[in-house]
Amino acid sequence: MLYLFQVLNGLGLGMIYFLLSAGLTIIFGLLNFVNFAHGAFFMLGGYLCWSLTELTGSFWISLLAGPPVVAFLAWAAEVTLIRRIYRLPHTFHILVTVGISLILQEATIMLWGPIGKSIPVPDGLQGVVTLWNFAYPTYRLFLIAFTALIGFALWYLLEWTRFGGLVRAGSESAEMVALLGTNIHRLFARTFALGVGLAGLAGILSAPIRGVHPFMGPEVLGIAFVVVVIGGMGSFTGALLGGLLVGLVQSLMSTIWPEGASLMIYGTMAAVILLRPYGLFGRA
Amino acid sequence: MNATGEPLPAQSSPGRSGQRRDASASLCSRLPGGPAAVVAALLVLMPVVLPSRTMATEILIFAMATLACNLLLGYGGLLSFGQAIFFGSGAYLSSLVMIHGGFGLLPALLTAAVAGAILAALVGALAIRRTGIYFVMMTLAFNQTAYFIAYTLSDWTGGDNGLLDVPRPSPTLFGVTLVDLSDATAYYAFTAALFFLIFIAVRKIIASPFGSTLIAVRENEARAGALGYDTRNFKIVAFAVSGAVTAPAGALYAMLLNFAPLENIQLSMSENIVIMTVIGGTGSLLGSLLGAGAWVIISDILSEIWPRWLILTGGALILIVLYLPGGLWGGVESLMRRFRRGGGTRRTPDGVPENAGAAHPME
Repeated sequence: MLYLFQVLNGLGLGMIYFLLSAGLTIIFGLLNFVNFAHGAFFMLGGYLCWSLTELTGSFWISLLAGPPVVAFLAWAAEVTLIRRIYRLPHTFHILVTVGISLILQEATIMLWGPIGKSIPVPDGLQGVVTLWNFAYPTYRLFLIAFTALIGFALWYLLEWTRFGGLVRAGSESAEMVALLGTNIHRLFARTFALGVGLAGLAGILSAPIRGVHPFMGPEVLGIAFVVVVIGGMGSFTGALLGGLLVGLVQSLMSTIWPEGASLMIYGTMAAVILLRPYGLFGRA
Repeated sequence: MNATGEPLPAQSSPGRSGQRRDASASLCSRLPGGPAAVVAALLVLMPVVLPSRTMATEILIFAMATLACNLLLGYGGLLSFGQAIFFGSGAYLSSLVMIHGGFGLLPALLTAAVAGAILAALVGALAIRRTGIYFVMMTLAFNQTAYFIAYTLSDWTGGDNGLLDVPRPSPTLFGVTLVDLSDATAYYAFTAALFFLIFIAVRKIIASPFGSTLIAVRENEARAGALGYDTRNFKIVAFAVSGAVTAPAGALYAMLLNFAPLENIQLSMSENIVIMTVIGGTGSLLGSLLGAGAWVIISDILSEIWPRWLILTGGALILIVLYLPGGLWGGVESLMRRFRRGGGTRRTPDGVPENAGAAHPME
């Protein structure tokens, strides 16, 4: 029973990691740009959740309003700054986004203070659901269902809409898409906002479980990297399976060997790198 | 976009090509005695000018780490977010062999250097299986791995509390104490001597055929490979050298503080080392000293006035990437060049336009 409990926990956590990493991977696929501020935007999502919940008294409003706010900030950053550096080498992308994440981290401390915050489990989702003789927290069950829904919507968006088609075509050749008459700047900005918005959403969803603190950005970024290294960069399926694998490993290990739970995530990554250097679904 | 109104030279900073390096070499050689003399003069001046010996020592310790990062980034085109692995392990290992093994100062530093080289070769060998962005992501993930290992082994490392009571033994020869390092000035002098030796050694390495090949690998890995060089090995050796320099820096830092905090092995330490390297200027060894100096002095001044000063560092990093890709040292260089030529042309001494040979440093 304990293991079933942890497997469910792992699924919820894994789906949060999936949303986070899917954002990273979509941005990378189209823009060929790695966002080292991804973890900082995740954190920002968590803090917005706290503030909006405090302000309005409802978690649902923060779930609805938070991701667009994070996405808007990302869009603004893309239009004013990031757009200028696409043609520079990757090193420069990394340094600029590391700069952005430092600014976000320090701004967070200025706005919300250096000590972390805990977010109450939303109204209506407190308590447990009893299945047969097994009790499971309602919020975590909601989490699995909701993230699965978002994951499905994301898949639909990428596979079946015009926007998704452009994103996928652009991932093959952004230049060709631009030559065929698409406003590639707008597409880039929207995709960046979408990817970062997913990080913000993941941050909001994880806030009632994990709480928030200003130094969580690098930790989250590390996990997102592990997921994409395991799953293969640029692969949607890879992000899903990588995220679930990392979530499950982390939850199961936290009962078996609590101090080593985080370490085992990286152990899993090392094993995948040794066996399959390009990740499970990566293209060489 | 650029302050000067010309397109951003795609290569300038990490991927700075040979011509720029020659420019800095010729600039330095105009100064009497060359860069080594400049460094020697700075090492003598620093404790006089700076408010404290401890601060001067700290600058040199971070300058060592920056130098090692610069070797990878500026010359090998390898952006490593794993430098804290070597810095932190150097601090832990040297402290542990001193506390539990009764090692003296020099054997402890040597242990750190050897362990750092082995560890860095290992991390390098795994990370360079991928290039470009994946490489950077893997160094970052390895840093997190090392951090969690240190965190988990709290019996040895002290975990969150850090490793306390790190001694600072004085070097002895045949039982005779050579110099008493508990004195701040003596410890500065010792660190300065070590820094000078490392500076000369890294310069020699860069000037050697190994260094030229490393730059060739950075500029065009496929071409270097086609010429018959095993580019993999060159990168691994570069990593090993970088680890062998970074780990003793960590050891010296632990001895300076008498304490090895967990922060030494944290990702933010790697970030700081990279930021110092970029701010100082990649591809120039004097730039590393400048970067570390600027970082330590500014953080010391600003952290008193405004604890959130790191927000400025974030901004500075972005501005430097956009407008001053050569870092502070690049800025100093172009100022001096402009001064010499009376505001003349933006060409390097060999007459090659600055953005010639634009090459992607990481792919």
